[in-house]
Amino acid sequence: MGKKITIDPVTRIEGHLAITVELENGKVKDAWSSGTMARGFEALLQGRDPRDAPFVTSRFCGVCYSVHQMASIRALDEAFGANVPWGGMLLRNLAMGAEYVYDHILHFYHLSALDYIDIMAVAAYKGRDKSLNALKEKVVGLVKSKDVFPLTPRYKPDEFSVTDPDMVTSAVKHYIDALAIQAKARNMGAIFGGRQPHYQSLVVGGCTQYPDINMVAKYRTMLDEMAQFVNEVYIPDVLAFGTGPLFPLAKMGLGGGHYNYMSYGALELDKDGKDQVFPAGVIKNLDPGNIKVEGFKPDKITESVKHGWYKENKPVHPYNGEQVFDLDKEGAYSFIKAPRYDGEPMEVGPLARMLIAGNPDLLGLIEKGAKPGVVARHAARAIETKLIIDACYKWCDELLSEMTKPGFKIHDTAHYEPPKEGEGVGFYEAPRGSLGHWVKIKDRKIENYQCVVPSTWNASPRCENKYRGQYEESLIGAPVPDPDNPINVVRIIRSFDPCLACAIHLIDPQTNELKDFIVE
Amino acid sequence: MNGLFGDISRRDFMKYCATTAAVLGLSEMELVSKVSEALAASSSKAPVVWLEGQDCAGCTISLAGALNPPVSSIILDKLSIRYHETIMASAGYLAEAVYEDTVKAGGHVLCVEGSIPTADDRFCMIGGRPFREMVKESAEKAAVIIAVGACAAYGGIPAAGPTKSVGIGKIVKDKPIINLPTCPVHCDHLVGSILYFLATKSAPPLDKIGRPKLYFDELVHDNCRRRSYFDDGLFLTDWNDPKQKNWCLYEKGCKGPDTYADCPVRRWNDGQNFCIDCGAGCMGCAEPDFYDGMSPLYTAESERSRNIMARKEAGLIPPKEKA
Repeated sequence: MGKKITIDPVTRIEGHLAITVELENGKVKDAWSSGTMARGFEALLQGRDPRDAPFVTSRFCGVCYSVHQMASIRALDEAFGANVPWGGMLLRNLAMGAEYVYDHILHFYHLSALDYIDIMAVAAYKGRDKSLNALKEKVVGLVKSKDVFPLTPRYKPDEFSVTDPDMVTSAVKHYIDALAIQAKARNMGAIFGGRQPHYQSLVVGGCTQYPDINMVAKYRTMLDEMAQFVNEVYIPDVLAFGTGPLFPLAKMGLGGGHYNYMSYGALELDKDGKDQVFPAGVIKNLDPGNIKVEGFKPDKITESVKHGWYKENKPVHPYNGEQVFDLDKEGAYSFIKAPRYDGEPMEVGPLARMLIAGNPDLLGLIEKGAKPGVVARHAARAIETKLIIDACYKWCDELLSEMTKPGFKIHDTAHYEPPKEGEGVGFYEAPRGSLGHWVKIKDRKIENYQCVVPSTWNASPRCENKYRGQYEESLIGAPVPDPDNPINVVRIIRSFDPCLACAIHLIDPQTNELKDFIVE
Repeated sequence: MNGLFGDISRRDFMKYCATTAAVLGLSEMELVSKVSEALAASSSKAPVVWLEGQDCAGCTISLAGALNPPVSSIILDKLSIRYHETIMASAGYLAEAVYEDTVKAGGHVLCVEGSIPTADDRFCMIGGRPFREMVKESAEKAAVIIAVGACAAYGGIPAAGPTKSVGIGKIVKDKPIINLPTCPVHCDHLVGSILYFLATKSAPPLDKIGRPKLYFDELVHDNCRRRSYFDDGLFLTDWNDPKQKNWCLYEKGCKGPDTYADCPVRRWNDGQNFCIDCGAGCMGCAEPDFYDGMSPLYTAESERSRNIMARKEAGLIPPKEKA
């Protein structure tokens, strides 16, 4: 057996994650992904007024809060029989668009970039740019005062790290600029969302923020600044790195995985949802030269608990999921369940979405020799940020024209009271992938609430048929020449934009029973 | 490599070597003699340990929304962020090593985000250890302790769940704690409290439940722009009706009459908007019994809401004087 190392905590992600890898001849031979925190939100929702669910599930994750609200609200829309007016859908989409822009920018610059650059190269900057020289002085000052937290300590840069002083210095400058941009993107979202993190205005049946023309104008003005940053900074940075110094990583396909991809589809561009920014679909065993996309069928989703700390059970559809805890189960190593589509593990997220959409920019990168993996994942994320911004402009125009029509509506008031009984599913695409909430209502209260979240798909442990989860599979073969410096491991894991708090289902060490948690 | 450095551990070496060698142009051998010096030196910036327990990182994201002063200046110029899982460069043992060093040295600002499970430690483990233990040991020598957000202050939403979660005040009992509830924390509340500490080396004046009076001294209801509609009994029932758009949100579950916070005057996101202005009402997230005591949130069908109306009808919430 090779040497095993564990990275715990994996940082610069949302939530608590531990990764263990087994090394042999300087490469990852096997890998295990383990979620290490649980709060029991699904259980605490049982017996509650269903309209609390979007508010509570938003707190699954303070990074991608709004997508949980949206999945939850869509589940409630279905269960309540609500017909969301186009005006309400547009307000929701404008709030969600802002979420995407902020989330993707934050992920690239603040959660990922430090894995690819040797930040100390800033000190060797010799150019004449005033702002870059100011930055150099700042970093050198931090080093001289022996306090470079939180930028160090870090894993040592390796042969793939970008060391060119000009590139690194401008990247660090963009890291700082992007801090303001992501904050402004969220301020833009607050125009229709009320405030963020954790929007307040998204409710079953529509949205609570009655818009006026000034709000739309303000949103558009802020959107211009986002568009400028994305087009002139974010996308050029990703391209410069991805097709430049990081191209060897792209060519070797670091972090590839199973090459199965899935998208539930999201963000309607028209009233009937026929045209969406992200189309739904499934790709099995990708052949980059001949991409075949099949239709997504919700019934094919099952969840396995084979290697989770849950009582042995055969894989079932989330509607019928039960969670009976078994902390001593042999072979179990995670609080995360293992969802499968048609029995197979799937990658969800920007790379999956852009492959399924057949996005020409991403396919162009693949044609140039980039294999699906960490670099393609970052590229897909940047590409779709631009698609979202384009859609936001469209939604602004639509909203302006809709607002001026007589009888303009933002909410289905007739369906705001919880039904005596009902059930609904809310599918959505979160920045980090496919998200589903399932709700069952009885006596006007929540009887059961289940979520299968993006990081459950990506971070899942093994299932019955021995398939590893996507994180685990994507680590296989990754070069780790120095066990004390597993920088490729964190590059791979972070490229998925993990969001672990929501991926953890509930357990009870006392009784082993989920149903005992019903709040009296 | 280990032999070269005597009693300085490998991770200490890596920590300082990585930061200094490249920039100062020192060779490794020269650097060795500097390492012990570096270990002894401390920066003038306040060291910060930021722990995340049963959290959602929403408070971290909220802090990242600070524009005036910008968050970049806060995390690089004003503070020395030694441990913060969501933003620090390091991971695994490197991260743990800095945490240990800082907590051992003491004098740090301790920020805790997220609640602490009491039903079983295994609901929240970090680096293989119970989060509860980390809170206790890092509080011991801290110069100031800040409970960031509703979960760390009073338990928040997880307190209503099966993990029986609590705020840090129930774990650390012998030290004052600055409680900054609201879900998530308001970045102004956090930045202001830290700046206050840096300027005075003490906590700002607190109310009986540990909240800075500066931010939590007045009822949301008393500063609400919809207040006159509450006094007149005009309650919004239809979000589509432009005529009702400024009416009181009582029917939609607003808990403003029971909530102390400065949201109506400070607003959120650089003054962009806030819960009551977007038509959704206040959910009472600044109060110790949030969320259980405020649920259900988006309707007046809670005991809390009925109690508010009963008090109004009994004249206990008198109309605000009209100008």
